[in-house]
Amino acid sequence: MLDRRTGVLAVLAAVLALVLAACGGGPQSAAPGDDGSGPITIGAWIPLTGAQAASGVPQMEGAKAYFSWLNENGGINGRQVDWIVKDNAYDPQQTVQAARALIGQDEVVAIVNANGVAPSEAAFPFVLEQSEVPIVDHYGGIAAWYDPPRPLLFGTQTLYEDQAAAMAQWAVESGARRLVVVHDDPKAFADVAAQIGPAATRADGSTTTTAVPVKLGTTDFAPAVSQVEAAGGDAVMLILPAPEAAAYLKAAQLQGVTLPTYGYSPTASSTTVTLAGAAAEGFRAVSLVRAPTDQSPAMQQFREVMATYAPSQPADFSTLLGYANAAVFAEVVKTIQGPVTAESIVEAYRGASAVDTGVAPTMSFSADQHVGTRDVQRVTVRDGQWNAEGDFVSAPDRS
Amino acid sequence: MEQLFLVVVSGIASGAVYGLLGLGLVIIYRATDVVNFALASMATLAVYVALMVVDRGLGVWAGLLAAVLVAVVVGLLVREVLLRPLGSGRLFAALVMTMGVSLVIEALVSAMWGTEPRAFPPLVAGSVSFGSAALATQDLVVIGVSAAAMLAVGWLFTRTTLGSAMRAAAESATTAQIIGVPAQKVARIAWALGLGLAALASVLYAPRVGLAPMVLSAPLFRAFAGIFLGGLTSMHGAVIGGVTIGVLENLAASYVSANFRDTFVFALTVLILLLRPQGIFGTRSFERV
Repeated sequence: MLDRRTGVLAVLAAVLALVLAACGGGPQSAAPGDDGSGPITIGAWIPLTGAQAASGVPQMEGAKAYFSWLNENGGINGRQVDWIVKDNAYDPQQTVQAARALIGQDEVVAIVNANGVAPSEAAFPFVLEQSEVPIVDHYGGIAAWYDPPRPLLFGTQTLYEDQAAAMAQWAVESGARRLVVVHDDPKAFADVAAQIGPAATRADGSTTTTAVPVKLGTTDFAPAVSQVEAAGGDAVMLILPAPEAAAYLKAAQLQGVTLPTYGYSPTASSTTVTLAGAAAEGFRAVSLVRAPTDQSPAMQQFREVMATYAPSQPADFSTLLGYANAAVFAEVVKTIQGPVTAESIVEAYRGASAVDTGVAPTMSFSADQHVGTRDVQRVTVRDGQWNAEGDFVSAPDRS
Repeated sequence: MEQLFLVVVSGIASGAVYGLLGLGLVIIYRATDVVNFALASMATLAVYVALMVVDRGLGVWAGLLAAVLVAVVVGLLVREVLLRPLGSGRLFAALVMTMGVSLVIEALVSAMWGTEPRAFPPLVAGSVSFGSAALATQDLVVIGVSAAAMLAVGWLFTRTTLGSAMRAAAESATTAQIIGVPAQKVARIAWALGLGLAALASVLYAPRVGLAPMVLSAPLFRAFAGIFLGGLTSMHGAVIGGVTIGVLENLAASYVSANFRDTFVFALTVLILLLRPQGIFGTRSFERV
């Protein structure tokens, strides 16, 4: 009887060990190696289902289109790129599972162009600390990720806080002195909105700022527009997702509130124009990438690549963000002489300077600077299309 | 004063949508004991079909008709194929089934039409001025159409033989069957009616926020709050509860705090339920044994 019980326990222990191994539950002794010849295997978790899929799907399609074009044109130093995407549904638990699968089973050397601030944070301990796999070119992110810089985390997108400062500077340059900031109430939005006042005051000491918080998910902006009108501002700053920004613009147009209105990068989106229609005319926003209508050779190439490799997707801001992140990765990894490993990728990023993809700001990284840029592109809606206002500009210093 | 008027009327327009959804939920629940969590996703699917009709140049009213038809057909299919075989009295199994159907339909909609929000045209464009404030004509149409639909449902239930049969079945399906009321037919009509109202609500709501696979999640949440406030078994309670939620959330956002909009509204709901657990217009029910 004892032997039988021992046998059952042994079988259970073996099954448990197998399950843990399959889940990647044990610590990884080192990042996967590289023989210098096969494909460079990288991965990402992106929300492909659920409410956030509206940004995740085009982001993935843009990056996939870039990697397809890259592979057909020699890859990275002759090596193909195998970019494996897992759906995280913007869920932290699912993101950790995706990370375990990518690192434990697919043996990726880096997480590239992943999406989801809170979900990614849930995966950081396993990916960055336990597995020592770098996460680069993350879609979105927060200032705390990069200050102080984490050894294996590199970003390519101007921080939301810097975008808010850039919006304020633009409004003040345009003559506004009384800014009304309409922002969603969760801390992630409120913290970004809080950067507008100080930045505006630094640009001009006489500038005043009034905050109008709204509930995340608001669809009826009539009350908020009333508050904006009562505040007596001369410019409105929107820290809202694109559908809410569109709802605000429509409500403002209805009430005859025609103040110059500015948005941060999530509002620089085709969704804003589609949903707001004529009410979006004149709306200004800061973008992380060039305007999709830009006529530069790099942007023409972007449109051609999208038409060839992702014909069902529009060549717009959403796809361009994924495309740009993929392009930055390729440009940085091209500089690696020898095996492409987690360690060599990190070294390459630390030393990367003047990385120019032509579609995003020029990026420069260092050991102390893990966000490649603080630049934004000013864009304005004219005739139902986003148009660039000059070239990239740097966000003002926030310190 | 004009701003208060604007806030209230705009809230009534939002609340009318919650009320229509709530009414659909209550009609289905009373007739079949099913809390239909898939109501919103079925209606969303129907609105995507409506958008296809609109895009073909057939007009938004034809789109509305298509949405109602599609919602009714999908609703009846789900009931006959997935829920009816569960048998009667399987409240939790049916609940879980409708949750599953909701997720499947959301995935289907995302796969077929993508996840990017799309614009949906209003039934009527333009605006109406009230002093310095202006209201979208669509908001007034939403209120008018919703009121007409609710009155029609009220007339159906109180003035027709079918309505009497449906009320009898709602009180006791077994007793109704004994006296010759065809329970399954009544259940099918209730599902068709509930889904038709939900599709109408969705077509009225979509122009405000755009069309996305999960666009009705928030209104469904508020519709549930409305029917619990008004009384789960009361049709006019669902309507009044929904409108109350819509107006209160606008008033709270404007005059209390946007941060506490939902907190204010739902704290009031909780308070009312503490004082009157069956809701304002609901009736106390006894546990089945």
